[in-house]
Amino acid sequence: MPPREGIYGLLAEFNTPSELVHATEKAREAGYRRMECYTPYPVEEAAVALHFHKTRVPLVCLTGGIIGLVTAFLMQTWIAVWAYPLNIAGRPLFSWPAFIIPAYEWTILFSGLSAAFGMIMLNGMPQLYHPVFNAPNFRNGATTDKFFLCLEAVDPKFSVTETRTFLEQFPAISVVEVDH
Amino acid sequence: MAHGQEQHGHDAHAHYGPRTLPASLATPEIVSVWRTRLLIIAAAATLVSVLFAFTHEGRNHLLRAYLMGFMTCFGFAGGGLVVLMLQHVTGGKWGLLLRRPLEAMSRTMWLVALMFVPIAIFMKHLYQWAAYPNPGAVAEALQHHMVTLEQAMTINDKHAMLNPTSVIVQTIIIFGTLLTFTYFLNKWSLQCDADPLRGTQQSFDRWRTKFENLCGIGIFIYVVLLTVGSIDWIKSLDVTWYSSIYGLQFLVGQGYAVLALGVLTVILLSKFEPLKTLLRMTEQHDLGKLMLAFVMLNIYLCFAEFLIIWSGNIPDEIPWYLNRIYGGWWTICTLDFVFHWVVPFCLLLSRDLKRNKRKMVWLCSWMLLARCIDMFWLIEPNFADAAANLHIRGNIGILAYITVPVAVLAVWGAYYLTELKARPIMNLNDPHLEEMLEPEHAH
Repeated sequence: MPPREGIYGLLAEFNTPSELVHATEKAREAGYRRMECYTPYPVEEAAVALHFHKTRVPLVCLTGGIIGLVTAFLMQTWIAVWAYPLNIAGRPLFSWPAFIIPAYEWTILFSGLSAAFGMIMLNGMPQLYHPVFNAPNFRNGATTDKFFLCLEAVDPKFSVTETRTFLEQFPAISVVEVDH
Repeated sequence: MAHGQEQHGHDAHAHYGPRTLPASLATPEIVSVWRTRLLIIAAAATLVSVLFAFTHEGRNHLLRAYLMGFMTCFGFAGGGLVVLMLQHVTGGKWGLLLRRPLEAMSRTMWLVALMFVPIAIFMKHLYQWAAYPNPGAVAEALQHHMVTLEQAMTINDKHAMLNPTSVIVQTIIIFGTLLTFTYFLNKWSLQCDADPLRGTQQSFDRWRTKFENLCGIGIFIYVVLLTVGSIDWIKSLDVTWYSSIYGLQFLVGQGYAVLALGVLTVILLSKFEPLKTLLRMTEQHDLGKLMLAFVMLNIYLCFAEFLIIWSGNIPDEIPWYLNRIYGGWWTICTLDFVFHWVVPFCLLLSRDLKRNKRKMVWLCSWMLLARCIDMFWLIEPNFADAAANLHIRGNIGILAYITVPVAVLAVWGAYYLTELKARPIMNLNDPHLEEMLEPEHAH
């Protein structure tokens, strides 16, 4: 795949989380949707301002759990009833109470693994390159003491000039263009 | 901005400063209305129950159903006390939110102790060990085929623990100890609020340490006493059977019921001040998670007991389950499983449901109903006429299991609400209060 070119978005840098959250709320009000906040620690208000409520991790986790449950139960049924039918203490071959615990363990195993790997995949990981690292001070600031808001160029409302004007109304330290 | 600090949903204009503490922390007046309703229900259920006394086996069923009502109420009073002690030890905002409802539950302890009196009087109609209290009576009962050989030998064997005097003494010790803990925890709670140094770190630390020191040992003592109580009152209905996990099952069942009732109380009260301000979605969500944990732990213990006995498949133990599965009991057994575990578990997995007040009210009520079904399943099959033989035809008195517990629980509920109203709904002298006034986060 050839490298993408052109502008990725406009990145505003703030000194405090409140300024970041305020700007994010205003951007959403103004109609921007494709945007992201970058902060050195979790700022839950920023997640609220982005309306970032739902993720698909619970669904992935549930699906994994159900697959684990069904697989383990059916596998044990197949083993005990058809593959290796053994008389154990005179019980029926299909003695389901004995199958519950391994099925339960597999449910936990599968849902845990799918939650962890599902989360990593839905996060877009592993990702070796991200355009925002092209911005000055991002590499250092986003992991220490600066708060960033990026309005992305894929947003239909995005315009290099108007969006820059929009962002400059806030007390941002800098508003820079970020290339792909 | 001045208004609209609602807890329902995040509007873009919500500001991020702390909210102000409501001027009055008194329990809302609506509680009196609920209490009147409960008393009406209690009266109606009692009237219907009286009719059952004239049916076949009706009086026996009244007594057994009363035992079920007693044990369920004890679950709230004792369970309330132990969860109260638990939240003093663990701390946390969920605990502060539930503390006053839990204290109110624990203060009903003397009423529950009083409820034991009829059981003590009519003991010999419930328990074989009370009907045949000495080896002579046991031998005679054996001769007249009133008990099996195994039952006769077990009654004699367990005589030291299971005889009328011993059980009454044990019951007095249980309630005496629990009432002592209840007294101190409730007294200190008021003193803590009235502390002249309230609001300072020094005061917080002093009271936290004081509560912790009593509650740590209190939880241990409670578990031991509950094990003794559940054996004396419920398990010994079947004198031959035993299970080492029995007390623990009741403990978890009580936690299950107490959380359901506590959450139900705070959510219903959150329509009104002060809980309208103080119950945040965050804490409701946390309580929902805790309920899910108890739902899981409950099925874990129940299934563990079943699996071990099913694997062993020995004549000493397995009839207890056979009596509760065959002869129509399969329906109750399935209902118990579905009500107790399948429905609450599947629903509580959902994050949205845990954050929805209306749905949580329904779920909590459902869980309380599940506890009653479970108690019925535990108690009734112990008796010879009902073991592996659930029938309504010619046995209409069994319906007393619906009306009597409703009457007993309604009386208990009315008293619980009285005690709830006696104090402000929230402790003031707690560092978590300030945190609960902070704005919500999206978790």
